[in-house]
Amino acid sequence: MNEIAPAIEAAALVKHYPSSKNGNIEAVRGVDLRVESGEVFGFLGPNGAGKSTTVKMLTTLLTITSGSARVAGVDVADDPDDVRRRIGVALQEAGLDPRQTGRELLVLQARLFGFSASDAAKRTDELLQLVELDDAADRHIKGYSGGMKRRLDLASALVHEPDVLFLDEPTTGLDPVSRLTVWDEVRRINARGTTVFLTTQYLEEADQLCDRLAIIDDGRIVRQGRPAELKAGLRERLDLDHEPTLDDVFMDATGRSRSRVAGDVQEVAA
Amino acid sequence: MSQAWLLGQRALREGARSPEALLPTLFIPLFFLAVNVGQAAEIFPSSSTDFLNGQGYGAFQLPSSLLLAASFGTAALFLVEEIEGGYFDKLRAAPVSRTAIVAGRLIAEAVKGVLIAVAIVVLGLIFGITIASGLVGFLLLVGLTALWAVVFTGFMQLIALKTRSAAATNSAGLVFFPLLFLTPNFVPRDLLTRPMEIAATLNPVTYVMEALRSLVLEDLDWGTILPGFAVVAVLGVIVIALNVRVINTYD
Repeated sequence: MNEIAPAIEAAALVKHYPSSKNGNIEAVRGVDLRVESGEVFGFLGPNGAGKSTTVKMLTTLLTITSGSARVAGVDVADDPDDVRRRIGVALQEAGLDPRQTGRELLVLQARLFGFSASDAAKRTDELLQLVELDDAADRHIKGYSGGMKRRLDLASALVHEPDVLFLDEPTTGLDPVSRLTVWDEVRRINARGTTVFLTTQYLEEADQLCDRLAIIDDGRIVRQGRPAELKAGLRERLDLDHEPTLDDVFMDATGRSRSRVAGDVQEVAA
Repeated sequence: MSQAWLLGQRALREGARSPEALLPTLFIPLFFLAVNVGQAAEIFPSSSTDFLNGQGYGAFQLPSSLLLAASFGTAALFLVEEIEGGYFDKLRAAPVSRTAIVAGRLIAEAVKGVLIAVAIVVLGLIFGITIASGLVGFLLLVGLTALWAVVFTGFMQLIALKTRSAAATNSAGLVFFPLLFLTPNFVPRDLLTRPMEIAATLNPVTYVMEALRSLVLEDLDWGTILPGFAVVAVLGVIVIALNVRVINTYD
């Protein structure tokens, strides 16, 4: 029987940054991850826990200090360009060029992925329809709202129909309506077979969207599993008489109190 | 179509959509041309100043203005914006050649350099300056100015990639002013004081300026023109190689 390769596999992933004051900063201290193909996988953690650093290593944007990672079956360190062909990336703070129009940005992205001019134009039209930006396609991006920018960023990450889509805090700073729209997009993208690796600070978001999740704290994975399993595990371990929420799981895993968490992680119901 | 040219076209659109960043590159050099000519034209009348070859002092000053216009390096500041805004990472996360990312902006800078040089020279022609080396000389004048724009922007881009800071990149651009004033900016090199002559001889910008000046004031004098092109070729190779190295190890 053929075993399907995991979409993401990381083993003992470590990232150190040199620091003039403190020698080395250990941002990620040995992360093991396995994300199955077709999953929506949530990656949670407080600010500074190592979420974005891990994502940047998996998306080839940062070198790996030690350990290994394979994305879409390709070793990230050995063949970063092949990984880039197979992934879509929408990073924290939509990374867009404000002086281009939405259409120009998508056409350029498609051309950079090797589409011909006519195929790029066709794919751009499809994506603009998908994220409902056809009416704003020829306006400069600097005039877009936060929600429109996020949707355009998502569209640009989907130009080449990636196997794995990395979304780094895709709804941070969005109003509840825009957040719901992004959630719908994520579900729609996943339904088409794309594996989604979703970094978020919003526990409600993870609960709504993710098949499985991992919680990272201080550079290490402290919990990993299905949201329901993690909640049931906590209830059993602490012998609770009520169903714990995902933020209970989060606080238990990170050793944070509600008052301490208030500054780090927000629970938002869209 | 190559990735570098696609990114170059984007950088050109960016420039065209930011006239507030582009206009000073035309206005400030013309302002210095007018001021310098206004201050020194009486000292160097064309009738009795041999090094002007019968032209006015404006012809002698034109190369300084061309070099100044080509030394703004605004593309590097756009690059810092792009790094801070996240689009640079978006490009790095795509299968785009790292060389294309740095070359795209430099290609655009060459095109902008051509347009600005043509505009300044045409304005100079309107005010009575002639290009003594003819059409070929005019093309070489514009080409050398554009190549210098690539070199200087490459240097600024290098600072932008290393520091990721608009303030540091902007400050690095000021390095051009000491380099400009250590050239035979107001008189030919042989009329400078000895210490200034030594400094000018050691300054690579001198050879670019003398090549440009020769194209304005004399018939094609390859002995002066070629060192100017050699300087931009050598500096160009160095800054592009350093840009590629820095972007390849960018973390």
